[in-house]
This record gives sequence, structure tokens and C-alpha cells, in this order.
Amino acid sequence: MGDKDGKSSPSKKNKKGKDMDELKKEVPITEHKMSIEECCRKFNTDIVQGLTNAKAAEFLIRDGPNCLTPPPTTPEWIKFCRQLFGGFSILLWTGAILCFLAYAIQAATEDEPAGDNLYLGIVLSVVVVVTGCFSYFQEAKSSKIMESFKNMVPQQALVIREGEKMTINAEEVVAGDLVEVKGGDRIPADLRVVSAHGCKVDNSSLTGESEPQSRSPDCTHDNPLETRNVAFFSTNCVEGTARGIVVCTGDRTVMGRIATLTSGLESGKTPIAKEIEHFIHLITGVAVFLGITFFILAVCLGYTWLEAVIFLIGIIVANVPEGLLATVTVCLTLTAKRMAKKNCLVKNLEAVETLGSTSTICSDKTGTLTQNRMTVAHMWFDNQIHEADTTEDQSGASFDKTSASWAALARVAALCNRAVFKAGQDQLPILKRDTAGDASESALLKCIELSCGSVKQIREKNKKVAEIPFNSTNKYQLSVHETEDPNDNRYLLVMKGAPERILDRCTTIIIQGKEQPMDEEMKESFQNAYMELGGLGERVLGFCHLLMPEDQYPKGFAFDCDDVNFTTESLCFVGLMSMIDPPRAAVPDAVGKCRSAGIKVIMVTGDHPITAKAIAKGVGIISEGNETVEDIASRLNIPVSQVNPRDAKACVIHGTDLKELSQDQMDDILRNHTEIVFARTSPQQKLIIVEGCQRLGAIVAVTGDGVNDSPALKKADIGVAMGISGSDVSKQAADMILLDDNFASIVTGVEEGRLIFDNLKKSIAYTLTSNIPEITPFLLFIIVNIPLPLGTITILCIDLGTDMVPAISLAYEAAESDIMKRQPRNPTRDKLVNERLISIAYGQIGMIQALGGFFSYFVILAENGFLPSILVGIRLNWDDRACNDLEDSYGQQWTYEQRKIVEFTCHTAFFVSIVVVQWADVIVCKTRRNSVFQQGMKNKILIFGLFEETALAAFLSYTPGMDVALRMFPLKPSWWFCAVPYSVLIFVYDEIRKLLIRRNPGGKWLSLSLCITFRPESCHEICICNFTHKSLIDTKTRKLSNASLFSSPTLSSYRLGGKGDILLSDGYRLYSYPYIFHLFLPPFIPSLARHVFRCPTP
Amino acid sequence: MAKDAEKSTWKDFIWNSRTREFCGRTGSSWGLILLFYLVFYIFLAGMFCLTMYVMLQTLDDYKPTWQDRLGTPGMMIRPRGQAMEISYNTTNTETWDMYIKTLDNFLSPYNNSLQAEKNEECTPDQYFIQADSGDVKNNPKRSCQFNRTFLEKCSGLDDHTYGYQAGKPCIIIKLNRVIGMLPGKDGQAPFVTCGAKRYKVGKDEWKEDSDKIGEVEYYPENGTFNLMYYPYYGKKAQVNYSQPLVAIKFLNITLNEDINIECRIISNNIPPGSVRDKFAGKVSFKLRINTKG
Repeated sequence: MGDKDGKSSPSKKNKKGKDMDELKKEVPITEHKMSIEECCRKFNTDIVQGLTNAKAAEFLIRDGPNCLTPPPTTPEWIKFCRQLFGGFSILLWTGAILCFLAYAIQAATEDEPAGDNLYLGIVLSVVVVVTGCFSYFQEAKSSKIMESFKNMVPQQALVIREGEKMTINAEEVVAGDLVEVKGGDRIPADLRVVSAHGCKVDNSSLTGESEPQSRSPDCTHDNPLETRNVAFFSTNCVEGTARGIVVCTGDRTVMGRIATLTSGLESGKTPIAKEIEHFIHLITGVAVFLGITFFILAVCLGYTWLEAVIFLIGIIVANVPEGLLATVTVCLTLTAKRMAKKNCLVKNLEAVETLGSTSTICSDKTGTLTQNRMTVAHMWFDNQIHEADTTEDQSGASFDKTSASWAALARVAALCNRAVFKAGQDQLPILKRDTAGDASESALLKCIELSCGSVKQIREKNKKVAEIPFNSTNKYQLSVHETEDPNDNRYLLVMKGAPERILDRCTTIIIQGKEQPMDEEMKESFQNAYMELGGLGERVLGFCHLLMPEDQYPKGFAFDCDDVNFTTESLCFVGLMSMIDPPRAAVPDAVGKCRSAGIKVIMVTGDHPITAKAIAKGVGIISEGNETVEDIASRLNIPVSQVNPRDAKACVIHGTDLKELSQDQMDDILRNHTEIVFARTSPQQKLIIVEGCQRLGAIVAVTGDGVNDSPALKKADIGVAMGISGSDVSKQAADMILLDDNFASIVTGVEEGRLIFDNLKKSIAYTLTSNIPEITPFLLFIIVNIPLPLGTITILCIDLGTDMVPAISLAYEAAESDIMKRQPRNPTRDKLVNERLISIAYGQIGMIQALGGFFSYFVILAENGFLPSILVGIRLNWDDRACNDLEDSYGQQWTYEQRKIVEFTCHTAFFVSIVVVQWADVIVCKTRRNSVFQQGMKNKILIFGLFEETALAAFLSYTPGMDVALRMFPLKPSWWFCAVPYSVLIFVYDEIRKLLIRRNPGGKWLSLSLCITFRPESCHEICICNFTHKSLIDTKTRKLSNASLFSSPTLSSYRLGGKGDILLSDGYRLYSYPYIFHLFLPPFIPSLARHVFRCPTP
Repeated sequence: MAKDAEKSTWKDFIWNSRTREFCGRTGSSWGLILLFYLVFYIFLAGMFCLTMYVMLQTLDDYKPTWQDRLGTPGMMIRPRGQAMEISYNTTNTETWDMYIKTLDNFLSPYNNSLQAEKNEECTPDQYFIQADSGDVKNNPKRSCQFNRTFLEKCSGLDDHTYGYQAGKPCIIIKLNRVIGMLPGKDGQAPFVTCGAKRYKVGKDEWKEDSDKIGEVEYYPENGTFNLMYYPYYGKKAQVNYSQPLVAIKFLNITLNEDINIECRIISNNIPPGSVRDKFAGKVSFKLRINTKG
């Protein structure tokens, strides 16, 4: 369970670091600014003939094949070793090595060394290896699913060399090649376009723009990503044809640079790996402390150095929870499987939990939040804006379709439209059908097909007579049709285009099916509608028509489209239609759930700010009522510079602005705005944003589907890629894949992640507890010289036998409260295992368990004749093989073997006692705050676990032959009940403890400080939690009357007023963000807490 | 810079002078924790004592609750030697002096005078049963005399060296005390018999030293444990119990060689012990008597 791929030796790192910085910079292509001739000169090529074959071969050798270097794959054996030696396994390996060391010492010094240490060492090694294999195969399974995604189809390219067109393998394309692409092709390399005919490319996987971009030979922008005359490797040509000179191939292309950047990035340890590391530190600390203490004690008691060293090792090893590695692995696997069922495929087992710790989600827009499909969203006719249904399954509301104006608009949209459905898709739902043509025309086509039936029929009834296609100078498209009515010989002219251009050509407007003159009032209302729709980030088209007067254009009139011989003025305006790539249906709900779970959702997109903002508003990333600085400025009618940026909770940041920001400014933005949209961002900037969030201590999840997202996906604590629409590069870089592309699955991931974190805590608490009754027997054996109460074999039977199923069953435990209503855990404070958990498990419950075990031990010895009074100091004679007449308290004499049987019976009884007290422990560990009576015993696996461990204990005790095999002996029925009082005590004690916790949330002896979280939107929700954090407590003011509230550094002054209300120095808006307030409170505060922290009304 | 911060936090963690915290907690906090644990552990100790007290109340003072592990009583020899190995040199007094001392000590409570003072003469060859009448305990129970003189040549009274000096050593054998055990039925007393022990010398190769043991004498006669010494009523009820003994004397054992000897109890009421227990109903030891300096 190690880190992700992509490690390198330190010497390599330096060079690599430089390369990485280089890669993080923007694209260095300059050819777009050169003239075509310059370009040709640069690459020694000819604009007509192309490269010569010889040159091409030479370049191919020089530059290498035109393909992406696959990311360095880790050899299988290294992956396997990582499973064997990563994280938790190290603890067990250390234990095993110590065991072998102890055995070696014993073998060297004693004649008949006890085999215990040897066996323990072997068992520990076996456990690590078996668990390692298990998790290795588990992850291998996920990566196999991954591999099936890989697209294996080789690409072809059409190049012109020595004047001849030839189709070659895309890998053989070299810089300088003259390449031709047409609609449907994948662009084989980065091209400088030299000629184009209606060529449009889909850059969405590279830039995130959902609309296809037209390509032409002219340089339109300094930024190579924005200019029209560059087409990029592995993007798609949607329509038209183009010819271009290859400027970059392979890894040097824009796409290649991103892929290289991605594979070169190293992502840090997963949060759970960090937690396990912390846990190992704690356990090692406890083990070494105990070991050294008792080493010193043993030496003081007169043991030899060698014996003391053996004891030291024994104690350290006894602290290793043998079964925990397997438990944790199984728990994570179970969750991974559960998530896979809900369409979240997890590539790395440890990543299962990461979403649960996530505090920030950076989401790509196109394809992740949106459907990546232009859809008609709004229409304006009859002087009114109508909303179209944009949902994927047409479940949304519809508008009034009875108006005659709508019929006219639909007719124009259907006729003045070149998009068609591809053949053979009649059985598919309309929205799923593939179309040939422009994205907006396709959107119109689908919209009309949905609301008015077959467009094909409409077009058949209205035969097209003439057509002027769209061009950038006209900014309109028109066609002339025959009318439906065979008796009507007039021609129908339909036109669509940029709304202002259309309006200029109109003198009338259709209202309720009647033509009315276009007056100023109408024009103003048109302007308003246009502005409004544009403001929604939608692409607006205007439509108009004209029934041509028969006298001027009689039947058979020859329309000349090149030299327009008919009127294109005084038309009748019909309406506006606007299109957008609409959000996926499940997204707003999912964003809302993330919000209420305290997760900040940031949109990071390559698309335009207006569109981004509109979608952000649509899905709730910018919540209703929240304004950006620009919004405030326009509302108050003041310049943007006069607005206090702190007043705006939301902000939209443009990529070009982002470039100029310093790190501090960046931090400031990320800290102070709750709702952030980054627009026009490059892949490198996405990476910078993720790094910025991580710098502020957030655990960042990134969702995305495009190649442009992949560096960010890799850098994120957890990258989430889309399974269906996602690109291969993004899937490779991600840790988790949403198989159904449903953003809402993220919510599942968060929920499962948080649950497994809680439940792992419970599992670990449960498993650790039995460490104490396992260690104390050995300690007392050394210190007071009693016969050993619990042997190595029985310890292993507990750790690897009876404890396993109940510990794993805790992974199935339901959440105690609504985990999606809590804040994400604070990675520096909310540890998986903290001192308090150890204190309760070891110091309290564990001690009770140990007493229960010792009680059974004393009962058995006493009932067999050895009363506790003679046991102390008996060990030397007891373990002396030559002493076969050891006298008990009643005067009877025992041989060595006879008393050893009693001793082993004690081991068995101690073991059974631990099982009995662990019954109570597992019930106690089920909940951390709630009573079992509130929580119920609905966990069937846990109930099964209770029966299973009991049955296993009985099996081990009563099966004939166990006395020889494991040295376990049958117990008298009464001995099973010895530990029952202690079991009951554990249950009662912990119920009382939890009752106190519930009654006194944050009582002083339970926790020193109170943390109060104010929720952003509804500040009446105040959650009082009781984790301990002291560093923010001010020592100056400790009295309640002026207790200071401390908050994150950006918020400064809060005071507790005399009457008990929290007074905020500067008003309501400061509650907008879930800031956490820490305050120091004297022990009597819990009773006051509820009435003190009333939420102030705004 | 990050390193510095880490350093200072680590130092701060141990002792933070600003907040006066030791290991992340203030003195009063540590005090409260210690106080809690003190109270908690006192309570636990109380609980443990209570359960132990209740458990001890259920025990019988005179007889342990379970004796099933003592079905076959163990046997033991005196002197015990080093890990059941008695080896000495006849010419070197120091090598056997400790055996003499052990036997002297071991046999001193069996001196006739002491026995006559504390114990009484019983009817031989029958169990000396002293039953309780219902709840009324018949205590203290009386014990039978086992006089040192019963061991005749091995009593150490005539030959103070128990034959060790002469190379004809005495070994005293005893049967472990088990409360209530009746070692023979139908009036047949159990007796000890010693012989050579089969021992392994190699793979599937066994050896025994029967020809080297020579003549063995048993005291009392036939090496019997008289039935009158049974049953045993326990340390508390039968304070002066004298465990019956059997002495064996090797008269002409082969010298200067290791000899493995095994003695068993022959009885019609003692089940054979488990294979694993080498001392249940039998005892084996090694004897080596050197004569050369």
C-alpha cells in the first residue's frame, strides 16, 4: 500500500525538477505568428509538395515516432514489494525480525530454547506475506479493469510528401509534414493550418471549451491555445477540411507536454497512509516505552542481561497488533467493493478513504458537471423568454407550444439548419442520437425533433431552393424554401444568425402569430432578452423569415446565392433561441450535498467565464444570492475597484488574471472566497490551483475527464476521472473512476470514505484493546514470577483468530449521525488513532479485560489447588522440569507435566476470557457517542462475528487433539463465566462514559476545548464537537466573561458579550463560511454551552 | 524553514512555555488525568478483590475443587541430583557429601522418636479412613508412623553414608501426595520395582542396561507402600502426615558407567499415566559411580 507510481532516484530528481518547472510553463509554440512561408522555411518543407521522403525519414530518425511516451510502468515485482513492505507491514516485519533475533539469542545460550519466538516470527512473516498478496491481487484486479479502457486502434494520417497524397501510420508523421484532415479525423500532430474549408475542431479535451472551434490560416491570438490557425494533436476535426504543416510531434506536442507533465508529477501520501504512519509511531512509542521500563525492572530484579533483552524484545513484539494489518486491508477492500458496486472504481485501496477526508473538490466543467452537448435552453418569442427542457431524460418542465409564433420559430429553426441525424438510429432516444453538423445546429435539430416531430418531414415538405451558408462576414445563414401549401406559390426565406445582425434586417416582428411593426419598445425588449440570455452564458441565435411576394419572386425564380438577387432586408423577426451545454441532472443535488458536508466545491474550467459562471450558478457552485465583486459593482453602480473584495463570497477568476497572481494573492483568494470559479485555465494553471489548495492544508479532490485535467488529477490527493467520456490520459492519472460518469457518485465516495474512517477507528480501537490482556500476563510473569498466564499460541489465536471477524464486522457498522452533515475532518487534528483512543483502549477497557483474564487464571489455579498466595515467586520451581513433586496449597504434589497441563488450561481460560470480554468490547466499539440502545444491533455481520468467535473459542478448547496441536485444553463449563462480570463492567462503564460525553459535550475532563462550527447558510445549526485542540487557546484570557474566540487568521475579532451572545464585530456576513472557533472554557461550561452559543440573528 | 518550524513544534510539544503545557497538556490537566486513572484503578482493584474474595469463598479448605489432573500420582527420588542424574566418585568425599546431607535432612522428620511423639501406630495393610460425619469435620486427622528404621540399611542410622562411599548407594523413592487417593484395592498394596530403562541411542536403536544394574534390595520389604498411610487428607486436616517411602539399594552396580534406571509403581488402582508425562507413576534417573580418581 505504498505511494503512487512515478518515483525516481534523487540524482534524477534535480534534473527532473527543472523539466517539471519547464513543463508547468505555458506552451512555447510560436509558429502561429509566423507567415506560412516562414513556417515552410523553418521546417524545410514545401507548401504544395510537402516534405521529400528522404527528409521525412531523416526527421523521423531525429525526432522519433509521433506518439506519446507511455508513462513509466512500475514492474509487477516492485508493486508486489510495495504491498509487502509498505506502511503497516513494516511494523510486522520489525516484529518478526525481533522475534528471530530473540530466538537466535535463546538458541545460542540455552540448550532447549522455547520455540515460541521462532513460531511468532514465522507467523508474523506469513501474515504480512498473505496480506500483501491479498492487497496486491486486489489492486491488480482494479488495474485490469483500467487496462480494458485502453484504446488500441492505431491512427492513420493523410500526408502529402513529394506532392503525393498518402495514408501513413500516424506514428510516422514528422515535423514539417503537410497534413490533410477532414471532419471525423483525429488530428495526428500539432498543425499550423495553411488552408481550411469550414473546418471546425473540438478542443474540449484540451481546453475544456464545449463548442467546436473554427480553424483558418490567420493568426487571431498571441496565445497558441486561442489562435485559430493551430490544430492540436489528438483533438478531433468535427467538420470541414484543413491542410496544415506539422510543427510538433509526439511528446513535444501540447498534448504530449501535458501527458509528460502528468506522468512526472508525484503525488503525496494518501491521508490514510499518513494516519497509519501516525498510528505506527504511537504504537511503537508505547511498545518501546513498555519494553524499556520492564527491561530496567527485569535487570533490577536480578535477571541476566540476556534474559532481560529477551524480555525487552518479547514485550515490544507483544505490542504489535498481528491481526490489524489484515483487518485494515479487508475493511478497505470491502469498502472498495461496495463503492465499485455504486460505480466508483478505486485504483488504489488507500484512496478509498481519501474522498472522505476531502475538504475541497476542484471540478472540471465540461463533461463532468455538464453533459458536453449543446442543448437549446431558452427561447424568446411573443416578447417572453421560454425555458426549454435541458435535462438528459426530458423530465423537466415544458413551455407553451400552442403559440403560432413558436410554430414559425420552429419552422425557421428546422429549415435553416444543415445538421442531420446519422442513419440507423431510429430506435435511440432523440437526445442520444449522433448528428452530422455543427453543435448548435444539432442542438436546434434535436430541440425541434423533440417538440415538433420529424424535422426530415418538415424539410421534405418545404423543399430547399437556395442557400447561403454561414460565414464570418455575414454572420448569418439563410435558405429559401417552397411552402408547405401546394396552392401557395410564394417562397419562404428563412434566416438565422447573430441576433443583432438579424434584427437589423427586420422591420416587423411576429407576436402571437401576427406580424406587427418593429417599434422601439420591441427593440428594447429584444435587447433585454438578448442581454439576459447572453448573461446566462448561452449562445444566442436570432431567427427571422419572410414570405416572398409572388409578384417579385414567381415560381421558378432563379435564386443566385453568390450574387444575391433577392431581398435580405425588411424581414419579419420570429424569435431568439439560446443554447448551452447544460449541467447534468444529478449535479446540483450532489454539489448541495457536498456543500452541506462542508466541502468547498471549486469549478476549474478552460471555458469562458460567462459560461462557467452560468453553469456554476446552475449547479449551485455559486449559490443563489451570492455575488461576485463584479455583481456588486454593477448592482451598486460603482467601479469594481471600489468594492471590498471581502464583501463578495463568490468570485470568477480568468486564466489570464491567474497568471499574474502571486502566491499570496492566490492563497488569499482561496481562503476568502467560498465559491470560486476559475475560467479559461490552462492545464498548468489547474495544477497550480490544486497546489494552492493543498498549500492551505486542504485535502483536494479533482474531477475531470479531459487531458487538460490530468496533471491536476495526478497532483490531487484523489483524482476522479470519468469512465465513459474520460480520456485515457485522465483515467491513467486518476485514483478513482466514476464508471457511470455521474458526478453524484462522488457523494457516495465521500460518504463511504467518511464511514470507513469512522469504522476503521472502531476496528482499531477494538483490536488494540485486546493488546493489554495479552501483554500484562507476560509482564506479571517477569515481575512477580507467577506461572505464565497466557502463551504465544493463545495470543495468536486471539489476534489472528477470534478477533478478526468482529473487527472486520465493524466495517459494516452504520454511521452514528448524518455523516454528510459534518465538516470534513481536519487532517492535523482528527487522527485515526489518537492519544485518547489509546488511553481508552489500553488504559481503561484493556485493563478491565486484563483483570477478567487474570481472574479466570486465578480461579483455575485455585480450584486445582494453587491458591494465589503461593503463586507469587513460584515460577522457578514451576518451570523446572526436574522438579516433579511441587507442592500446592493443599499439600498435594505435582509433576512438571501435570502442572503444565493446568498452566495450559489457564492459557485456554485466559483466551476464552478475552473472547468473553471482547464481546462487550465489540458492542462498545460499535458507537463512539451513541448508546448501543440508540444505535441498535442491526449489524448482522457483527452478530455473526460474536457467534463465530465464541464457536471458534469452543472449537479450539474442546476439539480432541488440540492439547497436542495447540496445547489448549477443555475448560469446565463454569470457567467460561469467570470473565462475565468484567464483560458486563466494560459495557456499563462505556455506556456511562458515552452518556457523560453526550450530556457534557466538551466537558473538561473529556476534552479541553470546545469547537463550535457555524454553518454557512443556516447559522442556527451549531454543532458542538469535542475534539481536543489546544494550540489556539489564548492563555491571557481564561475567564468566561471575556473568553476569547479564535478563528482562522483572516478573521480577527470576536468577543463573548456579557449576556452570553456571541457578538460579531462586523456583522452577519462573517458567518458565511464554516469557520471553526476555538475557545477555552472552564469545566463548568457544558451546562452553559447551549444557551451561550445562540446564533445571533442577522 | 519548514524544518525549523518542525523543530520548534517538537520542542513546544514537550514543554510549551507560552501555554505552560507539558506534552500538550497543562499541569492541572495532567493532574486531572492522573487523578482519574488513580480513582479508576482503585475501583478496578476493588472489583478484582471482590471477585477474588467471592471465588475464594467457594473453595473448600480441605480439598481442592478439581483433582482430575492428578489421576496418576507422580514419583520422585531423593537425592534428586542434577536434573535426575546422580553421579559421584567414591574416592572423592565431596562429590557425594551433598547426597548424604540431602538424605539426612529429608529423613530427619522420620526419626523414630519424632514419629512416636506425633503419630500413632496404625493397623497395617488396611486404609486408615477417618471419615467426617456430615458437616462435622473429624479434624485434625491422625497420621500413621513411618519410622526411619523401616528403611533398614538405607535409614542412614547404621551406615551414615547410605552406602555411597562403598559404591552401593541408596535411593529413596516416594509417591506424590494426592488428597483422597487410594492406591490399591482388595487389600493389595502398591509396590515399587526398578529396572533398566530403555533409552534411545540412535535412530530406531534402543538400549537397556539391565545386565549392569546388578542386585537391588528394597526397603521396606518388596518396596511396598503400606495401605495404612492412605488416604491422605491434606495439609490442613492432617498436619503431621508422614509420606511413606521406599528405599532401594544397588548392591553390585557396574561402576564407571552411565546406567539408566527406571522405577515404577505397581498397583491395581493407579491408572497408567500419559505417555507425555515421564514422572506419572514412574521415575527414571541416571546413576554413575566412578571409582577412579
